[in-house]
Amino acid sequence: MIASLLERGGDLVERADVCVIGSGGGGAVAAAELAAAGLDVVVLEQGHHWTAKDFSQREDEMLPRLFEEGGMRATKDGTVTILQGRNVGGSTVHNLCYALRTPDPILRMWRRQHGLESLTRDALNPSFARVEKHLRVKPIRDDEVNALNRIIRHGARQMGYSGFVTKHNREGCVQSGYCILGCSYDAKQSMLVTYVPRASQAGARIYANARADRIEAEGGRARRVLGSVVDLDGAVRGSIEVSARAIVLAAGAVASPDLLQRSGLGGSRVGRHLHVHPSVMAAGFFDDEIHAYRGIPQSYYIDEFIDLDADPQRGYVLMPIAAFPVLTATQMPGFGREHFHWMKQYARMAGLLVLLHDRSEGRVRPGHSLSRPEIEYRLNADDAQQLAQGLVHCAHVLFAGGARRVVIPFSPEPLVLERGDDPREILRRGVRQGEIPIASTHPQSTCRMAADATAGVVNEWGEVFDTAGLFVADMSVFPTSLGAPPQITTAALADRTAHHILERRAELFA
Amino acid sequence: MHSHLPSATRSTRRGFLGLLGSGAALAALARLPATPATARAAAAGSQARFFDAEQTEILTQVIERMVESGEPDAPRVRDTRAVATVDALAGSLDPAITGPLPLLIRLVEWGPLLFELRLARFTNLSDEDKDASLRGWMTSRLEIRRLAFMALKNLAMLGWYSQDESWAAVGYAGPLLRREAP
Repeated sequence: MIASLLERGGDLVERADVCVIGSGGGGAVAAAELAAAGLDVVVLEQGHHWTAKDFSQREDEMLPRLFEEGGMRATKDGTVTILQGRNVGGSTVHNLCYALRTPDPILRMWRRQHGLESLTRDALNPSFARVEKHLRVKPIRDDEVNALNRIIRHGARQMGYSGFVTKHNREGCVQSGYCILGCSYDAKQSMLVTYVPRASQAGARIYANARADRIEAEGGRARRVLGSVVDLDGAVRGSIEVSARAIVLAAGAVASPDLLQRSGLGGSRVGRHLHVHPSVMAAGFFDDEIHAYRGIPQSYYIDEFIDLDADPQRGYVLMPIAAFPVLTATQMPGFGREHFHWMKQYARMAGLLVLLHDRSEGRVRPGHSLSRPEIEYRLNADDAQQLAQGLVHCAHVLFAGGARRVVIPFSPEPLVLERGDDPREILRRGVRQGEIPIASTHPQSTCRMAADATAGVVNEWGEVFDTAGLFVADMSVFPTSLGAPPQITTAALADRTAHHILERRAELFA
Repeated sequence: MHSHLPSATRSTRRGFLGLLGSGAALAALARLPATPATARAAAAGSQARFFDAEQTEILTQVIERMVESGEPDAPRVRDTRAVATVDALAGSLDPAITGPLPLLIRLVEWGPLLFELRLARFTNLSDEDKDASLRGWMTSRLEIRRLAFMALKNLAMLGWYSQDESWAAVGYAGPLLRREAP
């Protein structure tokens, strides 16, 4: 059952074996695995239940529907945009479907430096296999590589940079290109069309417009979730109380630590160690029309500048990026005629972004409003330098791919590089917050896994150190920045946590 | 906890919307009288649901300058639903997120007086002077003003480039899903 509490009306009082908070990349997996094993599961999702028929391919309609704060969520100082989902299915409804497993060197680092001995490849393989089966992960065929990605691949090869065409989770893709605004064709195998219906079919009761406001514990054990029925604009329409013998918190790396802190749970490390995979972009302008927004937006992946075996804490990847006019316009420099000069070349534009495996750490704290936690994040000097270096490599790839001109959208003065110019000018300008658009789609690590409560919030199975029966199952449990697209890691760790709960069934649900 | 940072850096750590909403003097701006142009607009009534008529007029003129293309056959902002789109977005979000926007709009209106010491308001300026005023926000030494400019620019771009009328000029073919005519 998937029900909107707005349409149902009234308050909600429920009792269940497990209450899952959040229906995105972690919560939906946990809910489905637990419900399929016969547990009585209630899911609370603060966002609305939008489906393919609502996905209009229009930015003005989809940004407010699918993104936290209408796509305007940002760090407290406004310098880093944080894009997160707010809907049944969470961020998987708008993500771009890179489907890569956790890199082995990252798992090794998590074991050796963070004491998470059980996080081995062999131990995780069953979870990876289940997740990839349900998400229908498969290689992207060469004929599915669109014009944008072909250009980037050509440029990378010309430069001798390492890269590959990735796997993805799409089935019957019509290559419309509107993945980021929700798939109108149900081809994207997001949680919305995979694990959420699977959970529902297994008996889970999934409530949309249901915001968790507080988790209550008694005697060091999680007992119930108190919340509110919320309208699309956040107005409270009713109350929620769900009593459960186990609670799985999967609201994402911003909302999960916010809720724990509001509840006085999780200890002193909650909200700390925020990593965001900050990204900056370069725009290449070509002689011929590309229409980069058509087709699978991201299929090629340049991994030349990340060697996790040599240094598991440092590096960056380059990813093609196409956006529709609104998001493109927000990235282009200046305003008025100067801005239009660049927008007029929209159809001949190709974007390439640097996604950083960051060591900078920020923090999430409760804000004045339940819908607006405070997010702090400042790049350290080395990470800023890495981003600048990444932009130099973006320029090389774009020129090698045939670009006549490359623009780095510094503000107020953009850097315009003509073919033959030295891109190292980017290093002189440097990446400074507030002077170039920085975006994040991967906030993580704010309830990190650790060997004990002095270093983190949850143990290697996702259980909160100071609260028995309370588990976290989203990107906030990553001990460090992941350094790779997080979809499969998030789902696999949530699957693992769910199966751990099932192994402790006798104890937790006696 | 940030005492090791220079003062300029410390100030940048404060949220600009929070800062805009913190000063009593700034808050008083919200009660300043309307300009003749905006008063006329207010008198004419407004379909807006988030911004009042005066704020809507200021916002309209900001968007007009933000998306000015110089193309002779470009559609007029006032002939599209660009401003209504921004208003609808602001009205659809939690007031905790959008609450400071009216004050920001007022600050733009009074920007020439506050930041340039000119006895003029934004909506009374020539197009050239409006651009100079906006450029003052964009290039300000104060990060908070630059970020406020970015917020306004993002709203303007959302309003304008979500309009079907704006797409042909940039070569965007539009959604594959077509709408039936109303």
